[in-house]
Amino acid sequence: MTLAHRALFTWFIVLVFLILLCLRLDPRTHWSWFVTFIPLWVFDGILIIYVVIKIIRKWRNLKRLKELLIYYQWYICGVLLKIASQLMICLRLEYPQWEISIFVTMIPIWILLSASIVYVFGRLNKIESW
Amino acid sequence: MFKLSELVRWLGLTEFEILVNLCGMLTFTIILALKISGTYSNSVIDWFTAFSPLFCIDIFNAYFCVIVGIRMYLDSDNKRKALHRVMWSTYFLVLISIFKYLLCLKLSGQTGLEYSEVFSPIFVLLQLVAIRACQIPNS
Repeated sequence: MTLAHRALFTWFIVLVFLILLCLRLDPRTHWSWFVTFIPLWVFDGILIIYVVIKIIRKWRNLKRLKELLIYYQWYICGVLLKIASQLMICLRLEYPQWEISIFVTMIPIWILLSASIVYVFGRLNKIESW
Repeated sequence: MFKLSELVRWLGLTEFEILVNLCGMLTFTIILALKISGTYSNSVIDWFTAFSPLFCIDIFNAYFCVIVGIRMYLDSDNKRKALHRVMWSTYFLVLISIFKYLLCLKLSGQTGLEYSEVFSPIFVLLQLVAIRACQIPNS
């Protein structure tokens, strides 16, 4: 897939999610929060498939799996943390009687944001002129 | 799914702006968690205080974009490219800021707008982002 296709696909997913979120926040619908997040679950599924395909394509060139997992550690951690963040938000909003602490809910998001900051900062250091 | 360089090409943000946005988001989520947990009363952290890191990064990014725009305009032979960049950054920052302001008003209960109306700047921005996605060359 070219960058334009991937960008338009991501755009479509975000658009559908925002429409569902607006419908859920306005008192028009009473869907489960897990249903509202369906576009993001679909996106996560495709992200997982994308990462698996990338690993398998490299694995065919007789590289060791451990090396590949280390090579793609940012991708794998990012996808897993994104799924964990969404899951925690859905659980917190859907089941308020469970009284999940907001700090526990936020932990995956904080880790994801911190890791992203470190990653972008590392990339920024490599670029001489920005 | 995207490399950082691809995101830069698509969204028209520099790596530095993305870094500033991420730092602001992290600070915002920490303040939001403190507000929701009830550690501090609503009078200490109101919604505008909670959103202040996001407003700060908008101001910071606006300053950065003005500097980059002026330098590009003066240094580059392609003045049109510099103007394009400034225009895109202006659209992006203004629409995002309006959305955050409306969201603050809505959460504070100071406006009777519906969430679909509060999200309208984001929908406009999404259309612009879609147009940018279509303009990306295939190479």
